[in-house]
Amino acid sequence: MSKLGQVVEAVESYNKFVLDHVKRARSDEQFGRELLGRWNDIKAKIPVTRTPTGLPLPRLALPDIDDPGEIARYLFGEGLPGEFPFLNGAYREMYLEPVREVESFEKDGGTGRGRPLGAPEKKIPQAEEPTRLFSGLMLAEDTNERFHYLTQHQRTHRLSTAFDGPTLYGIDSDADGVFGKIGEGGVAIDTVEDMVRLYDGFDLGSPNFSASMTISGPAPIIMAMYIAAAKRRFGPKVVPKLRGTIQADIFKEVQAQNETIFPIEASLRFLTDMVEFTTREMPRWYPISISGYHIGEAGSTPVQQAAYTLSNGFAYAEMFAARGIPVDQFGPRLSFFLDCGLDAEYIALARVSRRIWAIGMRDAFGAGQRGQLFKLHTQTSGRSLIAAEFKNNLTRTAAELMLAYMNATNSCHSNSADEPFTTPSEEWIRLAAHGQAILLEESGIFKHTMNMLSGSPGMKAVERAIEVAILKEFREIERLGGVLAAVEDRFQRSQIQNAAHRYEQQIYDGTRPIIGLNKYRNGEDDAPEIKLARTPRAKQQLQVDRLKKFKKKNAEKAKRALDKLVDVVERGENCFPALLGAVEVSSLGQITGRLQEVVGRFRPMV
Amino acid sequence: MSPPIRILTAVPICDGHDSAINTINLEFIRHGIEVIYLGYHRSVGDIVRAAIQEDVRAIGISSYNGGHVEFFAEVVALLRKRGSDIKVFGGGGGTITHDDAAAMKRKGVDKIFFAGTSLMEMTDYVRKHYGKPRKRTAAKSSDMELARKLTETEEAYAKGKRRTAKQIRNPQSAIRNSKVIGFTGPGGAGKTTLIDELVLRFLNQNPKARIAILSHDPSVIGQGALLGDRATMINSQDDRVFMRSMATRGQAGGLSPATHDCLALLAESKFDYVIIETVGTGQEAMPFQQNGIVDLTVLVMNPDYGSRLQLQKIVMLDLADIVVVNKSDLQRARTAHTEIEQRLEQNRRDQQLIDTVAKRHRDPGVDDLFALICSSGWVRRS
Repeated sequence: MSKLGQVVEAVESYNKFVLDHVKRARSDEQFGRELLGRWNDIKAKIPVTRTPTGLPLPRLALPDIDDPGEIARYLFGEGLPGEFPFLNGAYREMYLEPVREVESFEKDGGTGRGRPLGAPEKKIPQAEEPTRLFSGLMLAEDTNERFHYLTQHQRTHRLSTAFDGPTLYGIDSDADGVFGKIGEGGVAIDTVEDMVRLYDGFDLGSPNFSASMTISGPAPIIMAMYIAAAKRRFGPKVVPKLRGTIQADIFKEVQAQNETIFPIEASLRFLTDMVEFTTREMPRWYPISISGYHIGEAGSTPVQQAAYTLSNGFAYAEMFAARGIPVDQFGPRLSFFLDCGLDAEYIALARVSRRIWAIGMRDAFGAGQRGQLFKLHTQTSGRSLIAAEFKNNLTRTAAELMLAYMNATNSCHSNSADEPFTTPSEEWIRLAAHGQAILLEESGIFKHTMNMLSGSPGMKAVERAIEVAILKEFREIERLGGVLAAVEDRFQRSQIQNAAHRYEQQIYDGTRPIIGLNKYRNGEDDAPEIKLARTPRAKQQLQVDRLKKFKKKNAEKAKRALDKLVDVVERGENCFPALLGAVEVSSLGQITGRLQEVVGRFRPMV
Repeated sequence: MSPPIRILTAVPICDGHDSAINTINLEFIRHGIEVIYLGYHRSVGDIVRAAIQEDVRAIGISSYNGGHVEFFAEVVALLRKRGSDIKVFGGGGGTITHDDAAAMKRKGVDKIFFAGTSLMEMTDYVRKHYGKPRKRTAAKSSDMELARKLTETEEAYAKGKRRTAKQIRNPQSAIRNSKVIGFTGPGGAGKTTLIDELVLRFLNQNPKARIAILSHDPSVIGQGALLGDRATMINSQDDRVFMRSMATRGQAGGLSPATHDCLALLAESKFDYVIIETVGTGQEAMPFQQNGIVDLTVLVMNPDYGSRLQLQKIVMLDLADIVVVNKSDLQRARTAHTEIEQRLEQNRRDQQLIDTVAKRHRDPGVDDLFALICSSGWVRRS
């Protein structure tokens, strides 16, 4: 049985554990009283907060239950926010306004006149600002300028970087036939010098800075470039301080996104090399973002998205453990990335995922609490946005944001309404960011009370249905011999394609209404006036020229560094340190090319 | 009956968005079109080379990752530079604006489909605009000339031509330049991957060698087909490889009615090796038996063939010169090797049995197979 099979058993036995405790709470008076006591204690400690109109509200909402059985079901089955199995949230408090005045809610029956419970709890883990904006365009200096624009009013600088096509495929900007693609859809990065330009002016070692890089196929090379760039600017001591995330999710590339450049086994080996290095040397770095987003965008059902993402995550955990990396070293450095669309499943998809991950990591992998947390970045669905009557996309994104925060996501990116056309332009990015601010800061939906919208009967029904469906997918993958075997069999890929085809069919036959497209259509294809962020030819030429200069300057050194890299790869050692040397003098394409000579190229699955 | 329309579809380089094109491909073949699918992340050079070799009426490009104005224009420009008048159309959902489309049309692109276009509209367009063969101008290269002759041959059969004995040339005659290797075996055994890995070795071994590949996919008379071998053949997209994909157009046994003549054409052209790949075949198939052109036959087996008794029924086990057990990393491979070895011993011929894992880079089994093919005396056994 692979670890995935053990995860299924762990979840099933945990569910049984919960039911047993529900029964026991009802039959064993002593146990029932203890639970009731604990429950009342929890409630008594909940601080009170006030809405702007003065209405007192508890900072944590709990169900109105007093039956010990129901209390057991809640505490064990769902857990308080920040408590195992984390259904309601990875942390105790998220999105809440800072505490101004702390009062007990219970003691005065919610009149708000209770005496303060002493000093406000300053140690409440304040989640970072959940807004993360994705950007990448043209050349490194252009993206850098955009980064500075986006973060001008922000306390913390959390940059999320999109790369252009050639970079995503590990190709140099001077390669044949990619000229028009330079800087399109993301930033062009060929060398460590570009990487220096990309984050210029930001303090990479600061606790208030984090960089996220959305790239998988050549991720270890790009990671090495980032480290090298940081060292060039701040010296070697900055390395352990670096914060951020690199996507590096090979499984989802093969399953959905098609940006794999080495054969699967070699890709996984390079990934593990990187994870082994970063989890040891860079304890604040997330070296992998296990991503369902692209699975969802490629057309999977929400359940498939969660099931494949989680099972990919467990497969990575199994692989890292097999390399000998301790689970409490890598466990806390795994993070997740999910899509949030408009389907009903999204009401609870991330909640259920968080619970399954926690149980699996604790009971099948023996992870400690930090390694049990399903740390989630959510992005609203790009696929749900359409070109026809595109301003409707604002509403779609707003509804998706609402769902994402109902799932207690740790961070979120909201798409720009103009995304179906281009790399988002400033005007629409601003609206997208403001959408989040309106929801979290202006509206009272999330800022006063944790659990404000959790636990409705509908949400619970969705949770139950989703969990059953995800476990069913796990069993199917296990039956095929585990995640890697299923991936090589194209199992997930064909399931996703099938679901995508059905989705399109539903749009064409109208059973899936898309407003402005197949329903309430105004009859015209409106091509809105949107300023397109296209990369001028002169800039593309500049990138090519700079790259050629770099290659010429380093020709000799590059050869030596690449020979050394190849040697390490052939010997089967961890090649990440050699990569760190190679990126100083060679380009992304040079490194990819040499590695492909040794390990081969990825053969597309069609 | 008029022959099916052949078009080529692809997704540009640095673009992995293949969801739309997969759906569109299926719609095209459902409406009788033969689609040669080149896959995603494909360069201008790969697309143009494939289109010319396949002699398609048009190229459909699905682009979602930007740079489309340049990319489409480069495809048209390279086609024209090579002397081809193959048409280009495509789409990219909302990423291609009306202004872009206008610019692309000025640069020679026939048509851009915008977001919200129905599949039916696209199919109708292809059938209306690319349904009839164009008037031919003189071929500008030997590859183009060969490609057109292959089309003529294929279309003659589609229009009802019957095979005559006349075309069978003496395989040993001086006119033959090429060594012809036939690959057959059940579907999913890994023939395509194996051939692609051998091509890499042929190309590396001899920097001047040229190779032709004739690949087959099944289809029913008068209906469409998805010819997708190119999409996974990463090493065979090379100027030194001439590849042609054929649909079987209703003929059983793994080849098309026109295969024999097409193969003869390739064998007479200046290739060092000609490789022919059948569709996935059944137990009774003996595709190369009547051919007279194939010098060496390779049967590629999947270790999962069922019970031992099934082996007795596979005719090609009697006929093949080399039997390959591919996917020999699978659990069942050892048993398969032993059982097939015993089966071959009954024949008392000098048949070779090799285990490979074609999907593995630098697989020693594929190296062995390559060495064996190279060392073959090229004397047909019969």
